[in-house]
Amino acid sequence: MTASRTADLERLTLGFIPLLDAALPIIAREGGFFAAEGLDVALSRENAWSTLRDKLAAGLLDGAHMLAPLPLAMSLGISGAACETLAPLVLGRNGNTLVLSKRWSEGMPLPDAPAPEGSATAPAVSARDFARRLRHRGGPPPCLAMVHPFSCQHYQLREWLALGGIDADHEVKLVVLPPPRMAEALEEGRIDGFCVGEPWGSLAQHRGGGRIVASGAQLWPDHPEKVLGVTATWAERHPETLAALLRALAGAADWLAASPEHARQARDWLALPPYLDRAVSHLETLAPGTEPIRQRLDGDLRPSAEAMAPMANHIDQALRAQGGRLAPERLSACYSPVHFDATTHQDRA
Amino acid sequence: MPQPLKILLVDDEIVRAAMVEEALAQEGHEVVCRLQSPASLNEMVARHAPDVVIIDMESPDRDTLDSMSLLNRENPRPVVFFADQHEPDTMQAALEAGVSAYVVDGLVPSRVKAILEVAIARFASFQSMRSELDKARGQLADRKRIERAKGLLMKHQDCDEEQAYRMLRKLAMDRGQRIGEVAANVIDILERLEKGL
Repeated sequence: MTASRTADLERLTLGFIPLLDAALPIIAREGGFFAAEGLDVALSRENAWSTLRDKLAAGLLDGAHMLAPLPLAMSLGISGAACETLAPLVLGRNGNTLVLSKRWSEGMPLPDAPAPEGSATAPAVSARDFARRLRHRGGPPPCLAMVHPFSCQHYQLREWLALGGIDADHEVKLVVLPPPRMAEALEEGRIDGFCVGEPWGSLAQHRGGGRIVASGAQLWPDHPEKVLGVTATWAERHPETLAALLRALAGAADWLAASPEHARQARDWLALPPYLDRAVSHLETLAPGTEPIRQRLDGDLRPSAEAMAPMANHIDQALRAQGGRLAPERLSACYSPVHFDATTHQDRA
Repeated sequence: MPQPLKILLVDDEIVRAAMVEEALAQEGHEVVCRLQSPASLNEMVARHAPDVVIIDMESPDRDTLDSMSLLNRENPRPVVFFADQHEPDTMQAALEAGVSAYVVDGLVPSRVKAILEVAIARFASFQSMRSELDKARGQLADRKRIERAKGLLMKHQDCDEEQAYRMLRKLAMDRGQRIGEVAANVIDILERLEKGL
């Protein structure tokens, strides 16, 4: 079988939120990986996940950088209008941090300190410490922010609180804020902590407003954090364009992995004003695979339902609370590797 | 006559917000609060208890509103996204105009739809006003560039204004570009020449 190399759509628009794991589409555009596939891709910076979601569902965007749980939530019709959505490629793993304000984190054990043999893991240590402070202090519940109800940040925050034995619905107040506003809200004392994707956690710590006390990588090691999202209708209508898109993004990941020099170049591209602008000024390179954040942007892009299990468990619980349940076939349809495998197989042939 | 609804308007564009507020007031509704980049949208919703929240689609606060129905289960007046009320045509029109709405659960959809339509119309007319303005600004900038390019050509080619303009027009036709674009190119090249680069 000869695979056609021509995409059936030449111009397309992908939405993204200013975060480090938007790196692959940015590299693919700036480094010419989209162009090499015959694609003219515009990257549209969006201000909110819900707006990005609604634009994708309405066809105003061809694809988008998405929170890993969002395609499933869209398909199930529990976030915005029901719209069957696919996640054919993983754009990044890990990268979330749990940050507490200076006042709450003073003297807390650092998350990157190795846990003594046989003792609790680092996130449990900081969570128990937080619980002690919370109960000792009394007063109104501290306010913790995350980025969207259907996000790994929300679920990881809840699991961290559970490690400390804290009731997430009563002992703390959970709110949603856009990532770029987290550090400022923390400094102004409007929130006491947050769970957010990079670079916003390390930036808040760099600016001195708070400290990283746990990471998503410690709670859910190598869990897919962001995915490429496309609607099922779009994927059906433009199979060649989808294949070209996946090849270009995989090419960008290979290039990023090839050399530390590339990681520095990628950081400079991300620092361009249409992308992350000054939010990456505290980073020298885009290889923050360091403890405790351990972000991974350059490998293992293949989606699978199994890898989504920790996230799917939370969605299942939410559905069960309303008398339903998450059907396994919905999960596997959403995170099916079929498009990814077909594309990489073509490359080998 | 039905009771007026309380509306919270979240919009950074002062002129547009005023247009929407005026139109809604004419329909007999009460705009309880007009917010620009609210520090705490959660508190504003709790304090004013609006029936409808009209928000700029591009506002970073959309996720905060989107989460309210899911996070504040104990809230006696849960706020839900209007898309949940199954009005695909209105939703598409709203999306294209750049406006979205959140409503108190249980509100009659037809009443919300009427309000949303008023907001959509104002957002759309503001959009066309702005693109007219952008076009006018572009034309003004083009005219200034053409004047500058003509001046440079007259100096370098030792010709009169009429000949300089014909030169620009010919270049534009040959290249299939707008005369403003050609003027920008000419300025770039001749200014570099003058600076000896």
